[in-house]
Amino acid sequence: MGEHFNTGHSFIVLSLALLFQSLVYGQEPAQIFKEKCASCHSIGAGRLVGPDLKDVASRQKREWLVEFIVDPKKKISGGDPYAQKLVSESRGVIMPSLNIESKTAEKLLDYIGEQSRSGSPQGGVGSAVMKPFSGSDVERGRLLFIGAITLANGASACVSCHGAAQAPLLGGGQLGPDLTRVFERLGGRQGLSAWLTAPATPTMSSVFKNRGLTEEEINSLVAYLEDRAKTGREEDPSVATLNFFLLGLGGTVTALVLFETAWRKRFRGVRRALVLSAKKNGEE
Amino acid sequence: MEVRSQISMVFHLDKCIGCHTCSIACKNIWTDRKGTEYMWWTNVETKPGTGFPTCWEDQEKFQGGWKAENGKLELRSTSKRKAVTNMFHHPNMPTMDDYYEPWTYKYEDLFNAPEGTDQPTARPISMVSGEYINIEAGPNWDDDLGGSPVYAENDPNLAGLTPEQRAQLSAVERLVFFYFPRICNHCLNPACVAACPSGALHKRGEDGIVLVDQKRCRGWRACIAACPYKKVYYNWFTGKSEKCILCFPRIESGQAPACFHSCVGRIRYLGVLLYDADRLEEIAKKPTDELVEAHRSLILDPSDPQVISAARSCGIHDSVIEVAQESPIYKFVVDWKIALPPHIEYRTLPMLFYVPPLSPVMANQEGDTINHVSSDLFHDIDDSRVPMRFLANLFGAGHERHVRYALRKQKAVRWYRRALTVGDVSMETAERMLHEAGCSVEEAEAIYQLTSLCTFDDRFVIPPAHREEAIAMLEDPLEHKQAVGFGFISNPRRGA
Repeated sequence: MGEHFNTGHSFIVLSLALLFQSLVYGQEPAQIFKEKCASCHSIGAGRLVGPDLKDVASRQKREWLVEFIVDPKKKISGGDPYAQKLVSESRGVIMPSLNIESKTAEKLLDYIGEQSRSGSPQGGVGSAVMKPFSGSDVERGRLLFIGAITLANGASACVSCHGAAQAPLLGGGQLGPDLTRVFERLGGRQGLSAWLTAPATPTMSSVFKNRGLTEEEINSLVAYLEDRAKTGREEDPSVATLNFFLLGLGGTVTALVLFETAWRKRFRGVRRALVLSAKKNGEE
Repeated sequence: MEVRSQISMVFHLDKCIGCHTCSIACKNIWTDRKGTEYMWWTNVETKPGTGFPTCWEDQEKFQGGWKAENGKLELRSTSKRKAVTNMFHHPNMPTMDDYYEPWTYKYEDLFNAPEGTDQPTARPISMVSGEYINIEAGPNWDDDLGGSPVYAENDPNLAGLTPEQRAQLSAVERLVFFYFPRICNHCLNPACVAACPSGALHKRGEDGIVLVDQKRCRGWRACIAACPYKKVYYNWFTGKSEKCILCFPRIESGQAPACFHSCVGRIRYLGVLLYDADRLEEIAKKPTDELVEAHRSLILDPSDPQVISAARSCGIHDSVIEVAQESPIYKFVVDWKIALPPHIEYRTLPMLFYVPPLSPVMANQEGDTINHVSSDLFHDIDDSRVPMRFLANLFGAGHERHVRYALRKQKAVRWYRRALTVGDVSMETAERMLHEAGCSVEEAEAIYQLTSLCTFDDRFVIPPAHREEAIAMLEDPLEHKQAVGFGFISNPRRGA
């Protein structure tokens, strides 16, 4: 489309887009919170994967909080005792680096402060289903997970990057972590639903930013993963590797047998066959 | 009429003694390099036999030459589609085993072996891999019917022979073979040139010699599959294909090619023919029973004033036309019609012709004398030990009349000379035979002269090279001079 505009038009369009962008990021920390924080944190709605951020400013110094938001890994691996405590509270789940600049972090803290004072709970997943999931929920979740049912907004199925002890031969993808126990890791239905609403890690967020999961899909997936956590055993990656190798070997052998059958009458030289047949005739 | 000149050859098979001097002369000059050990640009085969590479005449296997179907002339081995699908593997290529794995012996073992009770031996080692090998075949493994139950009995030319005829070929007292020396035929419609995807093969405009440009060759080997005579060889060391160059450096300096020059039996003749290039495709598409005559009709009479003026306008030098008028090939092929092209059914229009060999006829014994004269003078041509059918498969596209004509004429000439010199046959009988063979006394004398008493100059009528004109065919010398001067073969380049 852009190439149909002449340079002047493109310049105007570009300027407008930049202006809009700056409006969004300049004035909407609420939006950023929703995109990047809400999957793990609430403000006053209780603990999800990460701690409730209500009145966080009273628990730690603002400087420390800014540093942590900008680069959580540095803080954690730096051996900071408070950071270590946070990690152990969230059962080992480490907050990912979210590419938030210190200026934005300041704004976010201001926003969190405002919301804490206003008193109405922010984030969390009020809609998380609390009744027991039925077998059909679990089955639908499984189909969504392995991609038999396409995700409504066109994101790729979970199985392309994750395993959850569901595919008998090859297992799921090895790119992301195994999800058999993710239900426990992320703190049950609440945590998992929140995480799936807006996945925040850089890889997940880039995949799901414009192709978010629907509420119904999230419920089904949570049902499936809850079931996995109860019944499934984590896949042993070496088994999948071995299976992969064996499948490749089998495929190669099959292909060779097929080629040999298809081209069994191919030209293989004249002289040796001539001598062999003459010898055979001579012996008879 | 587009007149072109072609250096052509005749091999007189009745004179070949199978000494392989030609093969060795060629090998010593051209193919004694690494990668060419297995090549025999000229070789001598025993017929019946499977030749070199084994069964090269079996085009069902090797898919060489052209086929004329639905009015179209197409290569059997390749096409635009096959060139892509067979890009990395040509399915009908002879294997190294079909040629032979060239070998030498580990001679140093004769000197370095530790002292023991055995005689030291020099074991054969491959000249390709350097490993010890078991020698299973060579370029002349079936020479003089060596291994005939394996090789001779599988000669593709035996097709159409009755089982009795086949059995008699190897029967005691009737056992027979002749020699079949081969070089590149420098065809008028070369399949190798047509098949080359790189445009490396070309037929020289001035004399029709077919060459592989070693700079352009990319080693696709399409020529090897396409040539029905299997006379292009792949050099595994340079990764390029090579073939007989008809010793063009010798021809350009007025000498006969090495194999011609060294021929002990003086079987080889060389001269220039003029032909009509406009009719090539039409002729190559003719049905097989017309092919021999059609091929002959391509050759133009160099004494015909019309041909001479057309030749001049096509840029053929007067000196070449004069040499064409003296050509011994024209006499053998067109005047006397006793030289025939080998396997014309491959439709490459070969320009090497063979005088088919006479073979002993069945003798009948009367008391103590063995009588070779039969009552019916010509009947015994068909009663020769080499069946007519076999020769027809080789030289007549399966049709016997051309071979019979050539053999009858040769036999008549022999009887005429016998009547003249020995005198045990009456001249009356001899002249009757000549008459029946369609041969005048003068012609018989001429055939006798060129067959038996020929000198170097009679056998090899080599055209002046006129390199200056050959170069002018490719580029304008004046333009070349303006561009790069005359001091360089290729354009000068700074820093190189």
